[in-house]
Amino acid sequence: MKQPNLKIIIGAVVIVAALAYLLISSTLSQSQYFMTVEELQAAQAEWLGKDVRMSGVVLGDTIQYDPQTLELTFEVAQIPGDHRQIEAMGGMQKVLEAAASDPSAARMTIRYHGVRPDLLKDEAQAIITGSLEPNGEFRATELLLKCPSKYEAALPDQSE
Amino acid sequence: MFTFGLIAFSLAFALSLAGLVLALIALVRHTPLGPQALRLSQASFGLHTLAVLALLILQATEDFSIAYVNSVINPAMPSLLRMTALWGGQAGSLFFWSWVLNLCFFLLVSTRRQLVDAWTYLMLAINVLFFAGISLFIENPFARVWQLADGSLAEGLFAPQAGAFVYHGLTGVGLNPLLRHPGMVIHPPILYLGFGLFLVPFAVAAGQLLRGDPARDLLEQTRGWLIASWVLLTAGIVLGSWWSYDVLGWGGYWAWDPVETASLLPWLSSTALLHSLLAQRQRGIFHRLNVLLTLLSYVLVVFSIFVTRAGVLSSVHAFGESSISRPLMIFTILTAVFALGLFIWRWKKLNSNWQLTEFFTREALLLYTDLLLMAILLVCLWGLVYPLTSGLFSGQQITLGRGYFDRSTLPLFILLVVLMGVCPLIGWSAASLKKLGRSFWPPLLVALAGTAACWLAGIRAWTAPGILFVVFLGLAVQLALTIRDASSVGLKRFPGLWWKQRSRYGAYLVHAGVLLIALGIMGVEVLGSGIEGTLIPGDRMPLGRYEVEFNGITSDFDNPEYLNVSIQTTLYQDGQVLDELTPGQHIYMDRQQSITIPQAHSSLRGDVYVLVMDYNLDMPYATLRLIDNPLVNWMWIGGLVMVLGGALAGSVTPAALRRDEELPGGPADA
Repeated sequence: MKQPNLKIIIGAVVIVAALAYLLISSTLSQSQYFMTVEELQAAQAEWLGKDVRMSGVVLGDTIQYDPQTLELTFEVAQIPGDHRQIEAMGGMQKVLEAAASDPSAARMTIRYHGVRPDLLKDEAQAIITGSLEPNGEFRATELLLKCPSKYEAALPDQSE
Repeated sequence: MFTFGLIAFSLAFALSLAGLVLALIALVRHTPLGPQALRLSQASFGLHTLAVLALLILQATEDFSIAYVNSVINPAMPSLLRMTALWGGQAGSLFFWSWVLNLCFFLLVSTRRQLVDAWTYLMLAINVLFFAGISLFIENPFARVWQLADGSLAEGLFAPQAGAFVYHGLTGVGLNPLLRHPGMVIHPPILYLGFGLFLVPFAVAAGQLLRGDPARDLLEQTRGWLIASWVLLTAGIVLGSWWSYDVLGWGGYWAWDPVETASLLPWLSSTALLHSLLAQRQRGIFHRLNVLLTLLSYVLVVFSIFVTRAGVLSSVHAFGESSISRPLMIFTILTAVFALGLFIWRWKKLNSNWQLTEFFTREALLLYTDLLLMAILLVCLWGLVYPLTSGLFSGQQITLGRGYFDRSTLPLFILLVVLMGVCPLIGWSAASLKKLGRSFWPPLLVALAGTAACWLAGIRAWTAPGILFVVFLGLAVQLALTIRDASSVGLKRFPGLWWKQRSRYGAYLVHAGVLLIALGIMGVEVLGSGIEGTLIPGDRMPLGRYEVEFNGITSDFDNPEYLNVSIQTTLYQDGQVLDELTPGQHIYMDRQQSITIPQAHSSLRGDVYVLVMDYNLDMPYATLRLIDNPLVNWMWIGGLVMVLGGALAGSVTPAALRRDEELPGGPADA
């Protein structure tokens, strides 16, 4: 076998370095931590203003929406983030029902500017992207809602 | 029908298993695979097909004692949707997928007997058996609903306890309304067929490696299968994107959803494979790379099925966390480890005898193309796998959203498109930059003129001219090459030449399609705009040259399944009435789900798209979103051109390819 050309080695190094930079920088800048309400409240100072994803159960009575200004606020209550824990508690449906009716569960107010999603209702699971504000409220940039149904669990929803 | 379907499916499984045993016996005894094994797999496919028909009949006759039928059918659904509900839910679509794999197995043994030896047969049988097994033993589509002694309902094939009896529901839940779109009706079978056909080259390549057979042209023999699966996969992805644009994403065509991204992975690896296979056919190089890409493509298909089915990544498409996620994960890992191990084990047998010495030859450029495609693949794979594994290391679940994918793939895609424009101009082996320059001038001028024309026409967003230039350049290069061919043989003989060399002209068309898609994406991403607001009757909302006027709301129950709300609007362009649009919502009371039905004024210039976000029937107001998506329809046209071009290129047999390329004016000269 011939000795590999120096040009090729340099070229390969440059390509690998560029790709590694692209991968690492994109990963670092675009990673979103997936948190529960409790986790976020436990370390408020640390997460203030950072882009995170949070999961919680929607409390139906707290939903307020003004169609003129498109301002939406509602509260979510703590649900566990771990799949195994949810399974151990009897599945997502049970977890959502229990959390929505538990007055002692940790709660957080969500503010969102935009149209009220159709699936936003009591006991729906909300996956909310956004960041924590200094007043303890959560400013959402994206709402994803899931309503567990009996047979096919995950309904794709349009409210992205 | 239940009994018939279940027995047919079980027998199909048993016959495949018997075939597998015969293949193992042949391997142990070092005897060639007998015709019995082939007949077994054909019979297995026949029975599998009967089982599919049985499920279809259960769906058509609304047998709600079958849990799957109960979950995807209701009496109000039109009969076509009742058929396509076969792939509308987890159990049915998994069953259908196992049938597709069996179909590919059947096609191979029935048409290309010579490619199937005991090892290849073994590979095919294992894959068919695994997926059929999951469908038969874990997610059986024939499972019934049982009423237990205490009155509660349970699912199962057979009575879960003494005293339970089959529960005949009066109605079913029905197919998710989001899936009732023509794009969604044909997207899954096309995608599955595309996925399934990858099994054939995989099995042939793995069989060859296991035998230690050094034959170089074996992969070549699977070219037809490969192109067929590539074409179907392309069509499936484009259809999915169209569905998403129309139904799901409120005008979004691609969201880097895990399932979308996963289906792109085998497309990327097979696209790379088609390129390096060209180099292998014409120059006898890249053999090693091609074997790797063949194995990888099917591994990625299995990975993609795992991502879709196992529900481990949150996705709008996924079927939710399920009992099949563990076996699927194990099978995915085993397939990957097996393929990689096999490749390393036979590394020495696969030799390409090629060194990169010139940087601007066709083979070097094909290599760069493959490297870019693999880089995109790596970035996408990382984006899927990192969130899966991050929880293990940091204890924190991390997601990578579309920002990650947009940011990291965009530069790579742009480079790829640039490369695609230049590549056809450069010859095999010795190409000089000087020679390149001469053939480069005319298309370059055309592209510059086109870009300038667009600039004058008012397209000024800062990234647009660059992308337009690349697109025009690519199209002009292909046009220039076609004109050159036509003038060298004369117009009269050109159609004959075109047909004879349709593998090359098909590839030109595919590239043209990609460029048109790039044009569409640029239109939406760079030039697109949108606005939303709440209007009362008579109000107008402006967006650029357009205005939408809200006229009123009506609702009816013409379809028993949903309340149909339609919003009357008038679309104006420069103050003149352009169109009357009636977007709306379908509200499915029983399911507590509503579907937004957009309406667009569609033309080659683009779509002006109106969506209802919210409304009130009593005190009429409506929150509307008006979106201008310039050039978006070129995306669908481009997709169609890619599919047609691919089909054209794939219609040439390997023998004819080799014969025709020896003629003067063949691709070797291009």
